[in-house]
Amino acid sequence: MKAQTTLLAAAALATALATGAPTPGYAETVLNVVTAGDQNMVDYVNDFLAPRFEMANPGVKVRAAGTGPGDGGSQKILEKLEAQQKAGTAAWDTDVAVVHQVGAGKLVEARLLAKYRDQVASGKLVTRSTAENALGTDVGGYVLPMFHSQIALAYNPDLVKNPPKSYAELVEWAKANPRQFGYNGIKGGMSGVGFVMGWVAANSDLGAKLEKGPYDPADKAKIEQALGSLKAFNQTITFTPGNAGTLDMLNRGEIAAGPVWVDMFYTWQADGRLNPSVKLALLAPGLPGQPMYYVVPAKAANAALAAKFIDMATSPEVQAEGIVKRFNWYPGIDAQHVQAKLDPATWNKLFTDVTPEDLASKGKPFPLGPYFKDIMESYERVVAN
Amino acid sequence: MSSPTEATAGTAEASASAVRVFAATAWREHGLAALLLAPALLCVLLFFVYPLGHAVVGAFAIPAAGDAPPGWGLGHFARAFDLYGTDIVFTGVLVSSSVLLTGVLAVVIAGYLTLGETPWAVATLRWLYRWPLFIPFIVAAQMMRSFLAKNGLMNNTLVGLGVLEPIQTIGFLDWRGVVATFVWKQLPFVTLLVAGAMAALDRSTVEAARNLGAGRLRILLEIVLPQVKRTLAVALVLSFVTMMSVLSVPVMINAGSPTLITVDMAYRINAHGDYGVANALGIISYLMTGLVAWIYLKHGIRQHGGDPR
Repeated sequence: MKAQTTLLAAAALATALATGAPTPGYAETVLNVVTAGDQNMVDYVNDFLAPRFEMANPGVKVRAAGTGPGDGGSQKILEKLEAQQKAGTAAWDTDVAVVHQVGAGKLVEARLLAKYRDQVASGKLVTRSTAENALGTDVGGYVLPMFHSQIALAYNPDLVKNPPKSYAELVEWAKANPRQFGYNGIKGGMSGVGFVMGWVAANSDLGAKLEKGPYDPADKAKIEQALGSLKAFNQTITFTPGNAGTLDMLNRGEIAAGPVWVDMFYTWQADGRLNPSVKLALLAPGLPGQPMYYVVPAKAANAALAAKFIDMATSPEVQAEGIVKRFNWYPGIDAQHVQAKLDPATWNKLFTDVTPEDLASKGKPFPLGPYFKDIMESYERVVAN
Repeated sequence: MSSPTEATAGTAEASASAVRVFAATAWREHGLAALLLAPALLCVLLFFVYPLGHAVVGAFAIPAAGDAPPGWGLGHFARAFDLYGTDIVFTGVLVSSSVLLTGVLAVVIAGYLTLGETPWAVATLRWLYRWPLFIPFIVAAQMMRSFLAKNGLMNNTLVGLGVLEPIQTIGFLDWRGVVATFVWKQLPFVTLLVAGAMAALDRSTVEAARNLGAGRLRILLEIVLPQVKRTLAVALVLSFVTMMSVLSVPVMINAGSPTLITVDMAYRINAHGDYGVANALGIISYLMTGLVAWIYLKHGIRQHGGDPR
């Protein structure tokens, strides 16, 4: 009988809470942060940004949600905002979104974003071209880079004594060591996509044109020709199930080399999830990297609070402590502002295997939007089919 | 004695009242039935028929591009075959072979459950074979991933036992892994139905064959199987449809290409927002399942003269 009374009381309390009876100290405003990308993106918002922002802004609760890896994650955000726009909703339920470059370009073109950069103090700390231009689309004012990351070849030096230094050497190496190279195709995350983009640049004369344009639809033939050799290459390798899958198979010794995101690589090593002897190298002529952007939807319910959140997230302190030290990304704002906040050892850890010179010469942007689309589709037609 | 006119009027009145009674009864019985049916019917219409119609329309609708006005055509299908032709064939072959393998194994297990003569072995098998029935596809896929990987549980056990050298191990995380997962997961379902049908058989035919000296394998193949083959066919058609719709298993186990068309559909929508080609692939998968159902029905009709039970 007593247990029953307690249960009833608990149920009554739960009902009171669920119906939204105001309780002292209970968060009144919810800031919805929606992020594309792997789980580490959601972890970063939940574990690092949210507690700081909530402490500085009492009464605010940050709620993070992930929409999945690769451009598909950004596409979901685009579709959600588009649906709210078409429905004529006055206040959209996404306050801050984190998207890839392709997604940012589409969002700006669909007029779904607010031009918030001038309202944010750290907006002045970014001079890199990626803050103005996302794969050929002018995004100036609508975005701030959260971080930059880079794809590199991870290899196990116990199994690979002389790691391949270029795509051409990789082909020879993969032929001599069948099934020892692994990547995740184009459906399992961006590290595989980046590897394919790099392949086209390396196996055609389109290198600079892919980055700077002008776009010429007739180049499709060259792209398909370059991908023809990738089909043959794919016969000698192992496919991995996603960005994390490549790291996982490297760690289990099931593959000896594969393209990975540099930040995920360092994070996995720091967490003890990856064999500490595994190393990184950048293949010549280059592998792509990209930023992810903070954006604010045009009709975000809490637009002012969203700008405040991004201001904190792109401040030199948070970029140093969170982006570089904890999550091993290259900073989103200009490096000198961040480097000043960190001790040299932590800063240099970012460049252990991939030096700043490597990054400058072999770190490439992804191809322009229309080329990117052509390559993705040609891959499905020529390589996968 | 009443006149004929009166009699007619009386009959008319009687029949009118009969109609009224009938209508009232019908409303009482069927109106209530219709009311009871309405929520379910509405759900089917709203959540199945409407989206299905939407998908069919979407597969044939060509959106406006440049100067060309929107219209109808087979453009999405052409692109689906252009990009995923191999995957469509792969899906058909892989799912069909999984279904066949499931059928063979289910008959073997159900046959042993029915004809087995070692009580403890039959009891153990009966207890064991149902387990995968309660495990979702995605969990089964994750288990298979750690079991079938190059350095997974299976190979590590074989290496530990000294059967294999570490260098000889190969991973099965490709089409073989998908077949293994599909068969493992669907086997109990098919076995359950087939074993049930076998248990319901008239034992006298089996006993008669046994008395005449037939072996157990021969009894299974020549006496038992022909009597349960309709149940087997139904179970296999249902398994085919189930396997065609699974996304988690190919995503998790078969990372490379070719892959199942469910993965392509998810990719078209998630990465490109391209519902046209995804809908076309969906129609193709309806046609594949429809073909299997049609073969079954046609076979059933031929055998039973219009009674496709």
